[in-house]
Amino acid sequence: MDFKTTNTGDATDVRLTGRLEFTDHDKIPDIVELLDQMAGNGRRRLVIDMSALEFIDSAGLGMLLILQEEAESREIKMIVSGPAGDVRRSIELARLSEIITIEP
Amino acid sequence: MAGPALSLSDCRVLIVDDNEFNRKSLALVIRRAGITDIAFAENGREGLAAVDRFRPDLVLLDVDMPVMNGWEMCEALRRNSTHEELPVLFQTALDSDEEQVRCFEAGGSDFISKPIKPGECVARVRHQLEKRKLFGDLAAFRERVQRELSHARAMQTSLLPENRRLAEVADRYGLTLDAHFETSSELGGDFWGLYPLGDRRLGLLMVDFAGHGITAAINTFRLHTLIDRFPMQHMAPSQWLAQLNAALKDVLPTGQFATAFFGILDLAIDTLTFAAAGSPNPVLGTPPATRGNAPDIRLLDSAGLVLGASRRAQYVDQSHRLPRGGFLFLYSDALIECGGDECGPLGQEAVPNFVRDGLARDRQHPLRPMMDSFYARTSLPLRDDLTAVWVARRA
Repeated sequence: MDFKTTNTGDATDVRLTGRLEFTDHDKIPDIVELLDQMAGNGRRRLVIDMSALEFIDSAGLGMLLILQEEAESREIKMIVSGPAGDVRRSIELARLSEIITIEP
Repeated sequence: MAGPALSLSDCRVLIVDDNEFNRKSLALVIRRAGITDIAFAENGREGLAAVDRFRPDLVLLDVDMPVMNGWEMCEALRRNSTHEELPVLFQTALDSDEEQVRCFEAGGSDFISKPIKPGECVARVRHQLEKRKLFGDLAAFRERVQRELSHARAMQTSLLPENRRLAEVADRYGLTLDAHFETSSELGGDFWGLYPLGDRRLGLLMVDFAGHGITAAINTFRLHTLIDRFPMQHMAPSQWLAQLNAALKDVLPTGQFATAFFGILDLAIDTLTFAAAGSPNPVLGTPPATRGNAPDIRLLDSAGLVLGASRRAQYVDQSHRLPRGGFLFLYSDALIECGGDECGPLGQEAVPNFVRDGLARDRQHPLRPMMDSFYARTSLPLRDDLTAVWVARRA
């Protein structure tokens, strides 16, 4: 998985591409660091743009849960945006929308 | 190199040189560095015999010697698998590029130029011995980890129903039961079980912890101790899953969770009642209304908040008819997510046809042909753990 970050207004947008899976676990600290920067700069919304993500496995879903908790503890609102195809299906099957805000 | 310098006092060095003065001066140099266990040979042939007898940790080897020269001796050593890794330091007066390359081609680890400079000689000897020790330590560590993993794997396998148990339960309830379990590494995060609840009801559980490897395997052991704590007898599957969820939420760190299917098959009323927490869609098959037609095969909805993610999670029961001749096929996500170089992964939607093909090849035991066709299209080793369970009611 690769990710690209852009800042607009009070939001930080993280666009994910490729496959989010087991082997990406070491990228979590990078995104958590981003949350720290956001907290420092007063940004309050983290948008995880998944529209270009091809695949997510169970470990990838676990990473979303970790990020959600990290964001919450910094009073940052995390939004997962635009999951499509198999990614969307996996997120719906696991009913993550009960914990994480998911926008079409 | 990091860490304290290696003590050379317990290292053994063999010096092979036809010149007595050279043997003595080399011995003097390395003795000053703390190496006291030294043996000598005067040519390559004697050297080979000394290696077998003396078992050195390093050989200091002259090139030009009668009977058998240093290159020939080194080549002979390298042909013997026992001495493949033995460090060999050539000492050579030949300073042409070609001659030095020849030392490496013969299998030498390094060389020192004559006349011997004591500081350089000790440094190169020490370097080779330290490298040998590190390799030795790593190999021992690797061997120990592999041994422990294989013990742990045996423990994990013992959590799952054995074949004899499958046969017992199958006979008691009039079922055909077949199961396949394979972990991606030595250990995995998949778990499944059968729970007789009196003479007419049977509990079926399949759980898949996110990820695989040691962390996921530890979670299957946690799960196993939790299962016994919650009786299934007088509880709807959804309530039972909710209890399990709360207990897992207490012990699992954020980001670790499990998908699950828990169902109770009631033979008296021909009904399967289940609750699910994000497991892959199970396949339900019911016999055709008209004899001779194909069975009705479909995917069941198994959406549900994964176990261990939120204390507030609630689950929903669904009931489906599962009469004699009907079947249930449960599997972990590896079945639909692992693919090969030529075929992509199977995908969820293709599972009903995958089951139909299995049935066409073996009506009674379709699991085996299904696994054969899965492995035929999938690259090994598997990227995730695979569990597949076939439960059919005998007609």
